[in-house]
Amino acid sequence: MVAQPKLKATSASPGIATGPVYVAQPMPAVASPASSLSGHAALGDAIDKAIRELRDLAAGTDPESREIIEFQIEVLQDPTLMEMVGALIDAGENIEFAWVETLDDYIRELECAEEERLQARAVDILDVKNRVLSILAGAPIDDFPAGSIYVGKDMEPSRFLAHDWSAGGGIALYAGSAVGHVALLARSRSVPMVIGAGQFATEKGQHIGIDGESGIITLQITERREQLAPPDHRPVGMVSIADNGTLCTADGSPVLLAINVNAPNEIDAVDAATTAGIGLMRSEFALTSLGDAANEEKQFEIYRRLLDWADGRSTTIRMLDIGGDKPLAGLAEAPSLRGIRLLLARPEIARVQARALLRAAVFGNLHIMLPMVMFPSDVDDIRQIYREESGELARRAVPHRIPPIGMMVEVPAAALMLDEFESADFFSFGTNDLAQYLVASPREDADFARYQVKAVPAVLRLLTQAIKLAGSKPVSICGDMAGDPSLTANLLAAGIRYFSVAPAQLPAIRSAIVGLRADGTKAAGE
Amino acid sequence: MNGGLRVESREGEQMHASCQTEVEVKHGVGLHARPSVTFTRLAKSFPCSIEVAINGSDLWLNGKSIIKIMGARIRKGSLLRIRAEGILAEEAVRALKGLVERNFDEEKKHGRSA
Repeated sequence: MVAQPKLKATSASPGIATGPVYVAQPMPAVASPASSLSGHAALGDAIDKAIRELRDLAAGTDPESREIIEFQIEVLQDPTLMEMVGALIDAGENIEFAWVETLDDYIRELECAEEERLQARAVDILDVKNRVLSILAGAPIDDFPAGSIYVGKDMEPSRFLAHDWSAGGGIALYAGSAVGHVALLARSRSVPMVIGAGQFATEKGQHIGIDGESGIITLQITERREQLAPPDHRPVGMVSIADNGTLCTADGSPVLLAINVNAPNEIDAVDAATTAGIGLMRSEFALTSLGDAANEEKQFEIYRRLLDWADGRSTTIRMLDIGGDKPLAGLAEAPSLRGIRLLLARPEIARVQARALLRAAVFGNLHIMLPMVMFPSDVDDIRQIYREESGELARRAVPHRIPPIGMMVEVPAAALMLDEFESADFFSFGTNDLAQYLVASPREDADFARYQVKAVPAVLRLLTQAIKLAGSKPVSICGDMAGDPSLTANLLAAGIRYFSVAPAQLPAIRSAIVGLRADGTKAAGE
Repeated sequence: MNGGLRVESREGEQMHASCQTEVEVKHGVGLHARPSVTFTRLAKSFPCSIEVAINGSDLWLNGKSIIKIMGARIRKGSLLRIRAEGILAEEAVRALKGLVERNFDEEKKHGRSA
């Protein structure tokens, strides 16, 4: 038997996958912000398309529906509407938000009208707003065949999320990072992934294999071998223990175990009764374009779905952590603006999300978490937005509730000062970013994985201090360290009693916790 | 060539005008969605600018904007001032006044669909 050519790469997500190669084209440069002129044209095109869609709809319908559609078309052709949206675009606003802001103002006006017949029109305008919004957001992501092995220099999170991984497949990157966002997503979905393979040649249709444990890439796999190789990359040993994520250490201290969620469909494979709920939902992975960020209804549906699944269990949704190494398609900002800084610099984005969260809060045990908080004033400023939006919803008689608002602790400046964050209701440690900022290395840097390992003692010391500063406020951990069973003892010793991990890590962390005492020492007899 | 231009300009002078009228909304439910669509579509069929003001208000609204017309909450008994400026202004004002007087052709529409 001829030895198959093998390449040594680095593991980024465990599991074995084989399949035909899909070689990605180099990523296009980040689009420059649309000029106001092209903004007008893009909006005009979207509106024309919406009108065509509505005309098609009107064709096969009853006179009453036709009248509603005629009304919607007339709104789309309203010259003052276009003037208002155009003025916002000229003032530098993104098309999506210019559209949403203008239409929302009008919807609010209608909702508050005394006449019932005018109020009833609000939903028609909402419909118009969402139709155009979905057209504006509709740039389809270049997908690749199901079951194939994605090969390229790097991979965008939106591309990962848009792909159907149920047929198997995997990822092999020439460069990439084990702690980058795609690696994080791959681990949470149990998609095998290797990185740092260096540029290697493949032909279209060629079958390759990747081993996410050893990091080995096997080139030129024969079809026969492929059939023998198990395509199964689902997590093994996923025993369902319906303890609602409430466990005890060996010496009887209660510990909560929840899951991290990225795209909302990740919860489909998880039984809620095996968890204490959702400790972290990264909303930026569910809302991958500016159009999504502007779309209150879409967000509301996503949040509601998570709350329905959790069925009363705590559900923590993090506001959009965008900017920096997590750009949002269509939004060009200074690289230093990320997380809460960006949300406060672009309050229209925060306000849409705030409304969707306030409305969803009625349907379950919702907690809101703020990303990349640095100073107590960040929390105060966001709270003010929630108060204002809550007042506005109350005025419109829309059911809503202000849930507890907590914060990620992932910037050293915040971790060192937790006793000053009076207006945060709870804290959750994001150890990936904390490590990144402690060692002053961007996480996409190839050396970061090495630095991160060496930074563990510093991160643990900072955590231990910060937990003391947190006083009586609830504290949890949702970073990668939470899902690493070799660190569970250290985290327990630091005082962590609430872990949130990728669903695939549930069994490993569960068994680690029950085998340890609350101080992190091993239980007798182990 | 010159003569042709003169004729055009003379015609332009005749057609380019400013015109205003007043009409009371007598029947029906006022300008909600369907009558508003009828009104703004007719207004948009004229090349001149068309504005409306309600009950002696000095606020002139764009008569081609359904949002403005519907938002004006024109009820039964409202006094509607319509003014137009530009080409075919007179015809526009006459046509729109007629539409209001005919109760936005609502009855006709109902009759047809019944």
